[in-house]
Amino acid sequence: MASIVLKDLRKAFQVKRKAAGLGGSLASLGRPRYETVEAVRGISLEMESGELLAFIGPNGAGKSTTIKMLTGILHPTSGEAQVLGFVPWKQRRELAYHIGSVFGQKPQLWYHLPPIDTFDLFAHIYELDRKTYERRRDFLVEAFDIRDLLEVPVRKLSLGQRMRCEIAASLLHHPRIVFLDEPTIGLDVVAKQQLRDTIKQLHAEEQTTIFLTSHDAGDIESLCERVVVINHGQVIFDDAVKVLKRRYLRRKVIEVRFAEPTNGHLDLAGVSVIKLGRYGAKLELDTSSRPIETVIQDLMAGHSIVDINVMDPPMEEIIRAIYQRDSAFEPVAEGA
Amino acid sequence: MGIVGEMRFVGHLMRLNLASNMEYRASFVSQIVGMLINNGIYFVFWLLFFDRFQEVRGYRIDEIYLLFAVFTLAFGMAFTFAGNALEVAGLIAQGRLDYYLTLPRPILPHLIFSRMGQSTVGDLTFGVLAYLFTGRLDLVSIGLFVAATLLAAVIFATFAVTTGALAFFFGNTAQLSSHLVQALGSFALYPFGLYQGAARLILLTVIPSAFIGAVPVQVVQLRDGGALVLLAGVAILSAIVMVGVFRVGLRRYESGSAININI
Repeated sequence: MASIVLKDLRKAFQVKRKAAGLGGSLASLGRPRYETVEAVRGISLEMESGELLAFIGPNGAGKSTTIKMLTGILHPTSGEAQVLGFVPWKQRRELAYHIGSVFGQKPQLWYHLPPIDTFDLFAHIYELDRKTYERRRDFLVEAFDIRDLLEVPVRKLSLGQRMRCEIAASLLHHPRIVFLDEPTIGLDVVAKQQLRDTIKQLHAEEQTTIFLTSHDAGDIESLCERVVVINHGQVIFDDAVKVLKRRYLRRKVIEVRFAEPTNGHLDLAGVSVIKLGRYGAKLELDTSSRPIETVIQDLMAGHSIVDINVMDPPMEEIIRAIYQRDSAFEPVAEGA
Repeated sequence: MGIVGEMRFVGHLMRLNLASNMEYRASFVSQIVGMLINNGIYFVFWLLFFDRFQEVRGYRIDEIYLLFAVFTLAFGMAFTFAGNALEVAGLIAQGRLDYYLTLPRPILPHLIFSRMGQSTVGDLTFGVLAYLFTGRLDLVSIGLFVAATLLAAVIFATFAVTTGALAFFFGNTAQLSSHLVQALGSFALYPFGLYQGAARLILLTVIPSAFIGAVPVQVVQLRDGGALVLLAGVAILSAIVMVGVFRVGLRRYESGSAININI
C-alpha cells in the first residue's frame, strides 16, 4: 500500500533581488524587484509502506521544500500529495498524529531543559497515556542508548547525543512515517555510523516508513534500499540504491597519514595516486576493479598508518555523472 | 482533545517555561526586580505631578493608581504567559513556525504560550501592588478588577499577535509590530480625556488603547457592567481578527533555512 503519493508537486517562491551596497538598497526601497524561483518543479513519486527511501540532492535542490510540503508546513503552488491518505497542508493536525519529523537544523528539544522534559511535553502533545508513554520512552532510551543523557540540559549535549535524543523524541508516538531531514548533518564519522545503525535497527524491528533526506552519500549507502535523486527541483534518478552504487558510487577517495616518511613512491594495483607527500597521500580507487578492503590491507602491510579516511564522491559529482549518463555523450559503463 | 485538554496542555507548557526560565536564577530575578524599579520610577513621576495639580482631564491620583494597576497587570499577564505574542513577526520571518506546524496542536495557542516573559513578571507584581494602593479591597471591586484586567490582557496579547502576523504579508515586520504594541501601551497610560476627535476614534478602533486603560478603569471605578460587556466584546472581536489574519497569512508562510532552537 502506498504511504506517500506525489503528483506533479510544485512550489515557487518570490525572492527579492537587490544590487550590492547602499545604492542597491536605496533602489530596492523605491522599486523592489522580485523573481520567481521554482524550488520544486513537478515531482511525482510513490512510496510504499515500510520502505526506507533516501531523497537526496545537493544544497538547494528542493529536498527540504518537498519534505515541508509533505509534513504540512508549506502549501504547494500546484500539484497533489497524499501522505497516509491525508492531504498534508489541508489535514495537517490529523496527519501530525501519524508522522514524526526530525529537521537536522531545527531542533525540537528545549535547549535549556533536559530531554526528558521535552519527552514529557510530547506525551501531552500526542495525548499518550502515562503507561504507554513510559513503556515506549524506556524502549527508545535503550535503543538509542541515551539513559545517561535524559537529565542533562540539551545545551550541554554534543551534536551526536542531541540528534539521538531528537530522533527518539520523534518516535515516542509510534509514527507510521518518519521524515528525517539531514539527520547526520555536522556529525563526526562515529556519531554518524551510530545513528545510522540505530535507524536501521528500528526500521527492521518496527517496519516504520522512513523518508530520509541527506546530501551525504554514506547515509544512503548504509541505510536505504531505494534512492530518489533530485536536482533543481526535479527527480533525475529513482531506482534501487544498488543501481546507484553500481553506476555512480564506485569511486572512493582514500586519505592516509603515515607514521614514518615515505620513499616518494606508492605503487598499489588499481589505485591512482592523486597526491603524495612525505607523511601522507590522497588516493583514488574504482571499487568495481578492486575492493577497498584489499587496498587498505596492502597499505597497512607496507606502512605504519596513523590515520585513514575513506570518502564517497561528493553529491555534486554523482549528479554530474547522472546527467552525463542520461545525456549519452559520455556514458558511464556499468560495472559487474 | 477538547477545550479542557487544550487548557491542560497550555498549563503543561507554562510549567515547562517556568522551569526553563529558572535555569538562570540570577537573570530571572534581576529582570523582575529591574522591571519593578522601572515601573516605580514612572509611577513616582505621576505622584510628583499630582502633588502640584489636583486633576488632569477628570483623572486624580486615585484613578492613576487604578490605571497603573490595570495596565501593568494586563501587560504582565499577557506577556508573562503568552511570551511569544511579542515575537510572532520574528518567528514568521525567520521560518520558525515549522516546529509548531509538525505537531498536532492548534498552532496559535501552542505558539503563543511556548515562551514565558521574564521581566514581565515584574509588571505583574507591580500591578498587584498598585491595586493595593487604590484601597478598593471589597470583593465586588476585586472581581471587576480581575475580570477587566483579564480582558485587557487578551486585547494586549491578540493585538501583538495580529500585528506580528503582518509578517506573513510584508516580510519582517518585527519593528513595525513592536512600535504598534508600544503605541497601544503608551496611549493607554494617560487619562483618556486628553484625547479628542480623530485621536479618540483611533484609540477606540485601530489602536485600541482605550480598552486596556480607560475602559477597565471605568469598569472598576463606576462598577459599570455595560463597560465590562463592551470590553468582553472587544476582546472577542480582537481574538477573531487575530485568528483570521493568522490563518490567511499561514497559507503564505515560506519557512526558511535558519538554524533554530527552542529556549
